[in-house]
Amino acid sequence: MTTSTAPTTDTPTSLDAITEDVVLDRSTAAGEPSWMTDRRLAAFKTWLDQDWPNRRADEYWRNTPFDRLVDVTLPLVEPVDAECVELAEGVVDTLESPAATVTVVDGAVLSIRVDEDWADRGLVVESLRDAAAGPCAGVVSEHLGSLTTTGTGSGRDEDRTISTNDALWDAGVFVHVPAELEVTAPIGIQTYATRPGVHLPRVLAVAEHHARVTLVLEHLGGDLPDAPRASRNKTPVLVDEVVEVIARDSSFVDVISVNEHGDDVAFLSLQKAGAHRDATVRHYSATLGGATVRLRPEVDLLGPGASAFPSGIYFADEGQHFDVQPYMRHIAPRATSDVLYKGALQGKSRAVFRGNVYVAREAVGTTTNENNRNLILTKGARADSTPFLEIECADITAGHGSATGQIDARHLFYLQARGLRREQALRLIVLGFFNEVLEQITLPSIGERTLAAIEREIDLADLDQVNVSAGRVDTPRD
Amino acid sequence: MAELSIRDLTVRVDGTDILKGVTLDLEKGKTLALMGPNGSGKSTLAYAIAGHPAYEVTGGEILFKGEDITEWTPDERNRAGVFLAMQYPVEVPGVSLTNFLRTAVNARLEEDKPVREFMGELRTAMSDLDVDESFLQRSVNEGFSGGEKKRFEILQMALLRPEVAVLDETDSGLDVDALRIVSEGIDRLRGPDLGVLVITHYTRILRYLTPDEVHVMLGGRIVASGGPELADELEEHGYEHYAVSA
Repeated sequence: MTTSTAPTTDTPTSLDAITEDVVLDRSTAAGEPSWMTDRRLAAFKTWLDQDWPNRRADEYWRNTPFDRLVDVTLPLVEPVDAECVELAEGVVDTLESPAATVTVVDGAVLSIRVDEDWADRGLVVESLRDAAAGPCAGVVSEHLGSLTTTGTGSGRDEDRTISTNDALWDAGVFVHVPAELEVTAPIGIQTYATRPGVHLPRVLAVAEHHARVTLVLEHLGGDLPDAPRASRNKTPVLVDEVVEVIARDSSFVDVISVNEHGDDVAFLSLQKAGAHRDATVRHYSATLGGATVRLRPEVDLLGPGASAFPSGIYFADEGQHFDVQPYMRHIAPRATSDVLYKGALQGKSRAVFRGNVYVAREAVGTTTNENNRNLILTKGARADSTPFLEIECADITAGHGSATGQIDARHLFYLQARGLRREQALRLIVLGFFNEVLEQITLPSIGERTLAAIEREIDLADLDQVNVSAGRVDTPRD
Repeated sequence: MAELSIRDLTVRVDGTDILKGVTLDLEKGKTLALMGPNGSGKSTLAYAIAGHPAYEVTGGEILFKGEDITEWTPDERNRAGVFLAMQYPVEVPGVSLTNFLRTAVNARLEEDKPVREFMGELRTAMSDLDVDESFLQRSVNEGFSGGEKKRFEILQMALLRPEVAVLDETDSGLDVDALRIVSEGIDRLRGPDLGVLVITHYTRILRYLTPDEVHVMLGGRIVASGGPELADELEEHGYEHYAVSA
């Protein structure tokens, strides 16, 4: 099944200069139903009223200079001839008998394969446009944009990078898991960037009550060494993604996001779930690639007893800027959230962690915990970590912690004293640092892929240059 | 020549001279006890032998099999056969105990021991020291009780088969049963190929591990040496009268 957007003009318009006509033409050319076109136009009206993020005006962008890192003059990417692209193997290709796999390339859904057994049992995986024209139209219409700037859901997002996607999303993927269907095999969605421009992928996944599903979102491509750049920091590829997940009562949704973009990508991604009564949302992200990444794993805990477990790792090396901002909104009572992110940095790199937890006045009995740890391996790397709590309700249990440090000299000495060479010891310590997150990964192939990526990062490191904290403090001297 | 020979060693920590000329010989097959009050420099000697970077050797030498090892890294010393059982074993979060042990054993042997053979030896060592199977699922020293940490040190000693072992207050923090199990574990490893230096404050571990020689350290120097009877004397009279002469 293939859906493509035909280019509407000969000279591609830069993102910054989009007009209502462009939004309208793209929607019409793709044969979208009128409600969908209207929704895009509404989002575009919002877009017109907004400014691009500004570190001085917007608290959430304070540590990520949008104007320096993101090129908004890039044109919208045009779909490529499917025959001509060679796609690298990703972790989705190694999943054991997946329930479905989807390949998105340069703004178009290239292929969708759904396992027949799962399809017979009611699992729907199709392009968002096909879904909007088929039996699932009602579901799509109800939920598309309900967690962002359009629709009638819980959240309105004021960020222009989100209304951009709402108005102009190109490759859309829709997943529907009917009530009580437990899809035990994972669904893999691979998104490739092989050409310069603005890529606007969209995912809407709806798990009905007591359903179960695992989504693997993988981002690849983006090594375009010959593509022109507006400046040294601005990449020729911008991927601006929105993923919406609706977890109905007592459903269980596992989202796994693996980003192994090449160096030529700025990746902005909102991956937001609405968790209804007693639903559980797990989110794991591995942020490894790309020049600039701003990842927002968010969960609105909308129903009593809902749970959210966002976790992730990141490993930044020379020239990378990673900004990870989980946001948990406790709207309903007795919900639980537990946030854990661990990151390592080396070379001239930067990591920003801003964790947000909001607890509404009505959300009595909330349990929330939020932790971030950063390991600075070499000189020149910098991590800013700030866990925020905004609490309007007294009757809750909340904890948070944040720490940024170097390799502990005591750990290094202990392992070396047992015969391990310095590099062996450092390797074990770094892997050990990540282990607390890695051991929560439920799919073995994802764990292996993450481990291999971390190993590659360690191989890149100049282990002679690794900073080690002073180890004298509590060594006994009698 | 002794297996480990310490000649007039002086060591500085954080700008302070702690060891002020220590000479000590440890031969294979022998057990030496090094006793002394807190702050006398016993642990400094242990760390200096193991090569801790914060312990600066400012004079003298440490000879192992006739070679001066003062410039060697801690891992080189261990692979050559020098082992330190630490007073406060370090928790290394997230590092799988089994993976660590296997890496350490392979490093010491400089070859890859087949997994099956390694696991066999590990299980034997575990049952000798009354260590539970669940240990295999844990991280290095993470969440271990004081006694578990000490047992784990001796377990590593059993697997790494050193030629010289320095046991830094291995008895501290152990209850009677744990002390017996750990001491018996060490005793099982003693033999003609191993020299042991037992560093302790009290004599109770020496009831299980009868030393060939006892040395008393005070103020960074060895102030008295003798046979096992010296330990009993210390038990009775304490260190006070050495303090006067030192």
